[in-house]
Amino acid sequence: MNRALLLLVGCSATLLVFGLWIPFKALVAQEMLELAWAESQARQSEARPWPWADTWPVAKLDIPAQGVSMIVLEGVHGESLAFGPGRVPGSEGPGAPVVLAGHRDTHFRHLQHLEPGDAVRLQGMDRQWRRYQVTATRVVDSSRESLDTRSLAQGTLVMITCYPFDSLDASGPLRFVVEAKPAYGMEQIDTVAAL
Amino acid sequence: MMLLSLLANPVVRPECHHPSLKPLLSTRARRNMIRCAEGISLWLAMVLMLFVHPLYAEARAMESEQPGQLYLVDRKSAWQEPALVLDSRFDVQVTGLLAQTHLTRTFRNTSDVWQEGLFVFPLPEQASVYGLTMTVGERRIVGQLQPRAQARQNYEKAKQAGQKAATVEQNRPNLFTSRIANIAPGEEVTVEVQYQQPVNYRHGEFELRLPTTLTPRYMPGAPVSTPASAWQSGWSLPTTQVADADEISPFTVLPDDVNAGSHRATIALEIEAGLPVDEVTSPSHPLQVELEGSRAKVAPEHGPILMDRDVIVRWRPAGSQAPTAALFHQQWRGEDFLMAMVMPPAITGQVLRRELLFVIDTSGSMAGESIRQARSALLRGLDTLRPGDRFNVIQFNSQAHALYPQPVPANGHYLARARDYVQDLDADGGTEMAGALSLAMGMESSESAGHVQQMVFMTDGAVGNESALFDQIRTGLGNRRLFTVAIGSAPNMHFLREAARWGRGQYTAVHSAAEVDKALGKLFAAMEAPVMTDVEVQWPGTVAQPVPAKPGDLFHGQPLVQVVRGAPAEGELTVSGRLPGGRSWRTSLDLARAAPGKGLDRQWARGRIDAVMDSARLAGTEPDEAAIVELSLSHGVMSPFTSFVAIEERVSRPEGESLNQEAVPTLLPVGSQPGMLRYPQTATFGPLLTALGLVGLMFSLAIVMLSRRQTL
Repeated sequence: MNRALLLLVGCSATLLVFGLWIPFKALVAQEMLELAWAESQARQSEARPWPWADTWPVAKLDIPAQGVSMIVLEGVHGESLAFGPGRVPGSEGPGAPVVLAGHRDTHFRHLQHLEPGDAVRLQGMDRQWRRYQVTATRVVDSSRESLDTRSLAQGTLVMITCYPFDSLDASGPLRFVVEAKPAYGMEQIDTVAAL
Repeated sequence: MMLLSLLANPVVRPECHHPSLKPLLSTRARRNMIRCAEGISLWLAMVLMLFVHPLYAEARAMESEQPGQLYLVDRKSAWQEPALVLDSRFDVQVTGLLAQTHLTRTFRNTSDVWQEGLFVFPLPEQASVYGLTMTVGERRIVGQLQPRAQARQNYEKAKQAGQKAATVEQNRPNLFTSRIANIAPGEEVTVEVQYQQPVNYRHGEFELRLPTTLTPRYMPGAPVSTPASAWQSGWSLPTTQVADADEISPFTVLPDDVNAGSHRATIALEIEAGLPVDEVTSPSHPLQVELEGSRAKVAPEHGPILMDRDVIVRWRPAGSQAPTAALFHQQWRGEDFLMAMVMPPAITGQVLRRELLFVIDTSGSMAGESIRQARSALLRGLDTLRPGDRFNVIQFNSQAHALYPQPVPANGHYLARARDYVQDLDADGGTEMAGALSLAMGMESSESAGHVQQMVFMTDGAVGNESALFDQIRTGLGNRRLFTVAIGSAPNMHFLREAARWGRGQYTAVHSAAEVDKALGKLFAAMEAPVMTDVEVQWPGTVAQPVPAKPGDLFHGQPLVQVVRGAPAEGELTVSGRLPGGRSWRTSLDLARAAPGKGLDRQWARGRIDAVMDSARLAGTEPDEAAIVELSLSHGVMSPFTSFVAIEERVSRPEGESLNQEAVPTLLPVGSQPGMLRYPQTATFGPLLTALGLVGLMFSLAIVMLSRRQTL
C-alpha cells in the first residue's frame, strides 16, 4: 500500500516536473536568446544561443497591447518551438510573407487576446522595426487546409498557434491564425520593389 | 467527479469544530491542528480540482472521438460532423485496344445529419464517360446525359426538394467532379461511372493507366475575389488565368488524415488481349496475375490499394508476336465503325544532329521524389548527347532560368557544368510554365548548322491553365518538336499528352526512379530516329470524318490509330508514309479480317468532339458548343458541355431536415511533399503533464489523509 502510494506520488511528481519544465524552459531560454539576438545584431550574422543549438534568433516580435516581446527562432520544428516562436523557412525573401508559429501554452498564448486593429512589431536583423496591424483572426482545421503562402498579400505577417487555447490535447487539428498586414502597406511594398 | 465527492465528503464534517474530548490537551490540540490542516488542504485540493476539471473534461470529450476523422470547422469554430467515407472500385475490361471501366464509388455518411458530398477526381486523359448509375440500397437510378447547365439545374432542384441525386461534370478532359445530394445519416450511396479509354501500345508493350489522385495544381494569375459561393470546394480562389481554379483544387490530405478505411480502391482487371500474353507487370503496385493464353485476370497483390498514386498495368505479347496491325469492327445503330492500328516498320536512317533544349520543372509540386526522378531523367538525357549536338538546360519555378544564354556544343566542359547544375536543382516555388516556354522558344537557334530542333520538357504538369499553354506551344514552337516526360506518381497526363501533340512530339512517363532509364531510353531512341511524315490512310469508298482526321508524324515504335464511321468491313485499307530521304512506305490490310470490337462508336464520338475543340483552338475562336452537345447526346458520351445526372423520383429527405455539404479530399500523391505549408504542431504536452501530475498528487494526498484518519 505504502509502496504503491510512493510510486503514485513519484510518478505524479515527475509528471508535474516535466509539465512545469516546459514553460520554465520557454521562459529561461528567452533570456539567453536575448543575448544571442544582441550578438547577432551586432555582428550581423547568425549567432547560436548555445553551441549545440540547431536554431538561431532571426527576429524579435513585440506585441505592445499585451506588453510582451520575444525572440523569434529559425524553423518550426519542435526544437526551436520549445525555446521561442519559430519562423517558417522560406519567408526571408524581400516582400515574402512572414509566417511565425509558436506554442499556444507558452509564447503564443498571448495571441488569444489579439484583435483586428491591434499593433504588432517585428524587428529584423537590420534592427529596423516593422509595424503590422492585425487584420483578422480565424480558426482553421489543419487536417483539411494547408497554408498557401502564395495567396497571401506581399509582406503579410501570419502567426499560427494551436487552438483551443485551454485544451490539454497537444495533437489536435485546430489552429488559431492571426493575419497582420504591414501598417504602412504602400511604402513598404515600394521600398521592396526598389530592392 | 467521483474523486471530487470522495474528497469533499470528509470536509463536510470538519472535525476541528467537534466539542473537545477527554484526552490530554497537548495531544488534542495537535490532533485538532492536524485535522484543520487536513481540512484546509482538502479544500485547496478541491478548488484545484475545480480549476482543472474543465480541462480534464474537455480532454475526455476529445478522446472519445475516433482518431483520424475529418472535421470541418465553421465560422464559430465549433466541431462539425466527420466526413463522408469513400470507397472505390475499378472493374476494368480490356478488349483489344480499348478498356471499359466501371468505376464504383461508395459514399458513406457517418454523421447524424443529411449530407451532400462533392468529390473532384481524375480519370484517364482520354477517358470517354458514357454512363452514370446511382444505387441506394436496392434501388438503381440510371443517369441521363444532359447539357451541362440543364443538368446542374435539375440536380439543384432535386437537391432542394430532398430527392437523392448524383451528377458528374467534366472540368478538364482528365478531371471530373461528382456531387451526391441527400445522403441520409448512416446511409450508403453508390455512384457508378462508366468510361472507356484506349490502351496505350508502344514499343511492343501495352499499357493502361488508372489515375486515383491528382497532384495539387498551381494556379497562375492573381486571385479574383468572387462573391462567396454557397460553399468553397477547393483551396484555391479563381485567378485571372484560371477562372475555375476553385473547382479543380480539391483539398489534398495525407493518408493519416482520412478515416482509416477511406480512400481505398479495389481494382480488378480482365484483359482479353486478342493474342497470347507473356507477362503482366506494374511499376506502381505488386500484382496478382492469372494468365491463360490471351486472357489475364489482374488484381493488386495486397487487396485494396491506397488512392495515392496512378495504377499502371503493362502487358507484353508472347515471344515475337508483337502485333504490327490490328483491325476492329462494330455495328452500332445500323452504322459500321472500324478501328485500325498500324505499326510502321522500324525506321533506320542516318543519325541526326540535334539541338536539344532540356526544360525542367523545379516548382514546389515537384518537391520530394519527383525532383529526384526529374534530375536523373535529365542527366540521362545529357548522356545521350553526341559530339556535334548542341544543348541547353532551362529550369523554371516562379521564374525561368537558362544555364547558358544560348545553346552550346555538347562537349566535355559544357556537359560537366550542366551536370553540376542539374545535380544542384531544388524544387520550390510556383509553376510559371508560360515564362519557361517563352524563354525556351525564344532562344536563338542554330538552325543553319542543320540541326534538328528538339525540346524535352520534364514536369508533373500540375498547372490549371493548360489551355493557354497549348496555345502558346502551338503558336510559338516554330520548327521545334516538343517531347514531354511525365514525372511523379500522379502527373497531369492530359497536359503532357496534349503538349506533346501540339508540339508534334511524343510523351513518356517516369513512374519510379527505377524505370527512368527504361522510359527515357525509349523516348530518346524515338527522338534520335527519323520520323515518318505525310502519313496517309486510304479507306475503301468514302468515309465520313475519320478520327484523328489527319494522322500526325509517326515516331519509332509508335502506331497509327484511326477510327472511322460508315465504312463496312470489306475491301482494303492502305496506309502510306514518307521516310527521310524521299523513300516511301506503304502497307495494306484486308478489312474483312477485322475482329469484333466494342465501344468504337464512343471512341469515334470522343475523337470528333476533340476535333471540334481542336479546330476552335486553331481558329482562335470559342468551340462550337451546339455541335459538341449534339455529338455528345447522340452517342451518349460526355463532353465539356454535357453532364450526367441521376435523380430519384421519390423524396427521401424530410422537409425539416437541413442538408450539410462536404467536399471529400484527395490524397497527396506518394513521394511528393505537401506543396503548400502544413500547419506546424504548436502545442506542448506541458499543460497535460501538469494536470496529470497535479491530479496524481492530489489523489495520493487524499489517500494519505484518509489512511491517517483511520489510524487516528
